[in-house]
Amino acid sequence: MNRLSEDNTGKTLLLMGNEAIARGVIESGASVCAGYPGNPSSDIIDALVKESSELGIHVEWFVNEKVALEVAASAAMVGLRGFAAMKQNGLNVASDFLLNLNLSGIRGGLVLAVCDDPSGISSTNEQDSRLFARMGELPLLEPSDFQEAKDMVKEAFDLSETLGLPVIVHSVTRLSHARGNVSLGSIRKSDKTPYFDRSKPFINVPAPARAHLRLKEKMVRCLEIIEKSPFNSYTGPERPELLIITAGAGRFYCEEAIHNLAAENRVGLLNVASTFPLPRDLILKRLALASTVLFVEEGGPFLEEGVKEIYADHVSDLGVLKLLGKSTGELPSTGELNPDLIIDLLSQQLGIQRKKRPGEYQQGLSRAASNLVPARDLAFCAGCPHRATYWAIKKALALDGRDGFVCGDIGCYGMGSGPAGWSQMDTMQAMGSGTGVASGMGLLDSFGLKQPVIAVCGDSTFYHAAIPALINARQHESSFLLLILDNSATAMTGFQPHPGLGKTATGKTAPAVGLEDLCRAIGCPVETVDPYDIGKTTQSILGNLESPGVKVLVLKQTCALVRAKQGLPPSKVKVDQKKCIGDSCGCSRFCTRVFKCPGLIWDAGTGTARIDEAMCTGCGVCVQICPERAIVSEEA
Amino acid sequence: MMELRKDPFNVVIAGVGGQGNVLASLILGRYFVGRGGKVTIGETYGVSQRGGSVMSHLRVSRKKQFAPIIPKGDADLVIALEPVEALRVLDDFGNPDIDLIVNMRPVYPMAVLSGECVYPPLEDIKDAFRLYSRHFWTINATAIALELGKAILANIVMLGAVLETRVLDIQEAFFVETLKESLPKTSIEINLRAFHDGRKGLLSGK
Amino acid sequence: MTLEPTTLQLKKLVLDKGLCTQCGACHNLCPHYLGHGDRTVVFHDCDKTSGACYEVCPRTPTNLEALRQVMFDPADITAELGALKGLYITRASDPSIRGKAQHGGTVSALIQFALKEGIIEKAVLAGEEEILLPAGRGFSDPERVVDAAGSRFVVSPTVAAFNELAREDIETLGVVATPCQAMALAKMWISEVSRIHEASKKIGLVLGLFCGWAFNWKKLKNLLAEKLELETITRMDIPPSRFHSMIVETRDGRVEISIDELRDCVRPSCNYCFDMTAEFSDISVGSARLPSGWDESRGWNHLIVRTEKGQKLLEMARDAGCIEFHDVPEENLDRLKTAAAGKKREAAARLAQKSGTPGDLLYVPADDPLLRDCLTIP
Repeated sequence: MNRLSEDNTGKTLLLMGNEAIARGVIESGASVCAGYPGNPSSDIIDALVKESSELGIHVEWFVNEKVALEVAASAAMVGLRGFAAMKQNGLNVASDFLLNLNLSGIRGGLVLAVCDDPSGISSTNEQDSRLFARMGELPLLEPSDFQEAKDMVKEAFDLSETLGLPVIVHSVTRLSHARGNVSLGSIRKSDKTPYFDRSKPFINVPAPARAHLRLKEKMVRCLEIIEKSPFNSYTGPERPELLIITAGAGRFYCEEAIHNLAAENRVGLLNVASTFPLPRDLILKRLALASTVLFVEEGGPFLEEGVKEIYADHVSDLGVLKLLGKSTGELPSTGELNPDLIIDLLSQQLGIQRKKRPGEYQQGLSRAASNLVPARDLAFCAGCPHRATYWAIKKALALDGRDGFVCGDIGCYGMGSGPAGWSQMDTMQAMGSGTGVASGMGLLDSFGLKQPVIAVCGDSTFYHAAIPALINARQHESSFLLLILDNSATAMTGFQPHPGLGKTATGKTAPAVGLEDLCRAIGCPVETVDPYDIGKTTQSILGNLESPGVKVLVLKQTCALVRAKQGLPPSKVKVDQKKCIGDSCGCSRFCTRVFKCPGLIWDAGTGTARIDEAMCTGCGVCVQICPERAIVSEEA
Repeated sequence: MMELRKDPFNVVIAGVGGQGNVLASLILGRYFVGRGGKVTIGETYGVSQRGGSVMSHLRVSRKKQFAPIIPKGDADLVIALEPVEALRVLDDFGNPDIDLIVNMRPVYPMAVLSGECVYPPLEDIKDAFRLYSRHFWTINATAIALELGKAILANIVMLGAVLETRVLDIQEAFFVETLKESLPKTSIEINLRAFHDGRKGLLSGK
Repeated sequence: MTLEPTTLQLKKLVLDKGLCTQCGACHNLCPHYLGHGDRTVVFHDCDKTSGACYEVCPRTPTNLEALRQVMFDPADITAELGALKGLYITRASDPSIRGKAQHGGTVSALIQFALKEGIIEKAVLAGEEEILLPAGRGFSDPERVVDAAGSRFVVSPTVAAFNELAREDIETLGVVATPCQAMALAKMWISEVSRIHEASKKIGLVLGLFCGWAFNWKKLKNLLAEKLELETITRMDIPPSRFHSMIVETRDGRVEISIDELRDCVRPSCNYCFDMTAEFSDISVGSARLPSGWDESRGWNHLIVRTEKGQKLLEMARDAGCIEFHDVPEENLDRLKTAAAGKKREAAARLAQKSGTPGDLLYVPADDPLLRDCLTIP
């Protein structure tokens, strides 16, 4: 198997954008790499973890992105090279530190890879993180393919060290998770000995405005370097009919569209290496030779607005230009880009007919697809403890009868907000916000809020951000029930370790910071139950809804996928075909229609329920719900 | 060097989360990189793995690195690990000249498992394949994989079948090398068997 | 007929309207219903538009005429008291049964007899699940029947226990039922749902209980807790209305509570009930009234025989010597009729108020011939 630590300069590998970034980090000789799992960024640190012992670099998952960036920055403060990777929301979490570090600067190189998720395919929101570069006045590099994803990381480290500033490398899902050709460079090993020079402290006070001035000076120098970057490129005629300015993953779609319409002689494509600062002179040069300009970029009109600023400063020289993009509506301002958007727009602008599918084919196929293709809803895996948890929550709230609601959080259990969890989650924003919002709700009974409040939070999420909210809740005597769904995993992102698991990213043992201990130290009553035991869990939840104050109920059961990996033999569960009375069961398929576990399926042929042995993990929860007691568990 | 019927040649590998879609696309992609091609693979990731549809777009070119998403109606070959996923892909990316190879074993979506809707009859799906493709092949990849001991081998079985269709110019010796480089040493033997059984298990639909 | 899921229909017609009596007919019939305390809760909506729950619930629109035709001889039917083959005053012969019973111990004696004779295999009786909260339980040992003796003042979801036991390999079950529970069991008889019909074949005997109203559990608990230690309660009774009170015997003494205080604790759904004497059973039993006064009559029961089955049981019990009889004062039948008719009129008035329309009595057909008769009698 190809390893990212292969010392094989010149070899071409098929790498994921994230792997290319990781390889760039390796070729840059970084010593410390830090992150918190979050798609589409998780694979970067995952890839580095695999190579860490081979290369002698310290790679680790941290409890949240702020801490991760602080750790990476510590390396850069003592002359080593540090690297941090995070998703868009992670940058939000790290931003307070970043917006101080920009002013206090660093000594060694520090590169921050931020991966945005246009359309929020794996996120709770959609945002363009590049705005942080503008706010923090930091260099922002935008690799536009897989080779650049690697090479621009190296450029970023050099730039970072030259300026004494952290540099952001920006990626999006379609680059991070896509794969392409990457030609390897040579691996660099760090030869520095870390030392903290006390004569040059990293502090902005007492006059942050002065530090800000220093930052401005650095960014002037940065612009000079960016103008000359080999990663800026222009292809097409000197005087194009249409000039496209792009950066990052947008470039793929521009090239695709130009190729599709065979418009190479009519369209000029300017790809910029950085969208902050924009290479002003290069842009002005190209604007002077154009009349119509289209901006193509993932995210918001960041590049677009930046160029418009430059244009506004030089409008008397450039004259009137027709500008097309997201802020003027030619391209949608929300959601991911795709090649069809650009192809269709170019087709319209240039009057080139796009090759289309025959109408009959299209119509017939659409009809067939709508008749034959069922939707695929998300579901919890067979044996997932969260399914059992939401069942118990739904039952407990029904029995309680006071219209209780659930403040939720992020993770696999976030699917509880949808049909997979019977829509038992009512709020979801940022990591740890479920506990925060619930602690607020729990104070509102003085205004007449009579509904009981539940918060759900995963184990990894708890360490990440829920602890301050819990401390707060205890101090203010807020009344709610916090359910910590402890499945011993950071499952949604790929099973990275968290502080409760007692091991590091590389699998070595480490001290475990106990979840129940933390809650008890805060002073909350803590109970632990196994969510697979529906009856007990329901009773525990129900009982805790009556009492005042904040209570913690830990629902502890290992993630079904982790159990499968551990190779624990599942107990056998089966449906007694004689006892299952199929559709005559007055319940209207309670087991399959309502409970909905992929391991328990409806056999239309026999008209009964049946266990799918390929999927069933033997958790035994369905045994407890069948009203006819037709599902039985055989001890393996 | 490698022959491409069209440049770029666009392949969609479709299935349901957990079927080994990504590994199949990776192996195929690595093969073509090894033969000097420029390969881009785009994936749908993240939440879709929990029982949702998964798609890989694989572009092979001798000239350029193409975008990770195939333009609508522009796919040349669909390799589907599941029947309705093949149809779902066709709807967006199919055209009259497309080739299809499909593993005919259904993976029931929750709506079907729960009895809320019915999985369409396989014959109806095959009729659609017949009407809306240039040529289609089917294979019972999951059955072949189960005979070898593990359902997850179906993706490698499919790759064997793909070679057999000759839609892509794949040299077996080089492909086997790629397979060996892409799999853990302990499972190479069983995967090679899956690959060979896949070649034998191909059924033509037209 | 609407196309809504049945759970939703039942919610709208019964639960949200405050008509649910907690008879338990929907529990254990369908997992979408859960009982908690003395409430019934819908756990999840089903997707059947005509479900079994609707058929058996005593508070969904009910065809009383159809029930009477199936269960009774038309010659026996009275407007106020339902089918009446005979009115008796009885008590258990065995003093130890009378000692544990509420009043005359007739119910316990008859059930014990029926079990001993194999007339029924199991009896479904109300036992105490939590303090003041009853639940149905199956009894097969005649000697243990007295454990369930004594009135319950909160409704027991006994039909839930029947539903569960009906799934077992049993031929005949006997049920001691309040009027609403008896109604649910009766509706099972005429149900067209095969599963329900099969279960109804196992109903061997329904022993109905006279009932005025029941209490809301939490409210009763809270009220009594203010006045005494709940764990010390040994016995509770509500003497005839002229006494205007409830008597609670505890280990530490006797507490009398005025009916005025208790009015607030009445289960609201009871205000909409037509049936004082459990009309849809084989035999109905209540407390007797004798001219000598409560001190004597409290040891006796009124007993109405309604069906042939009931008649036969009473005669067999008499012949076996486990039931004793007292003369029935002439005026008792009329007095019972008046009381029963009064309950019907009150219920009708309240239902019309709830529905907002004078002719609309929600779950009862306003044009039911017998009901009409009752309502016009002053």
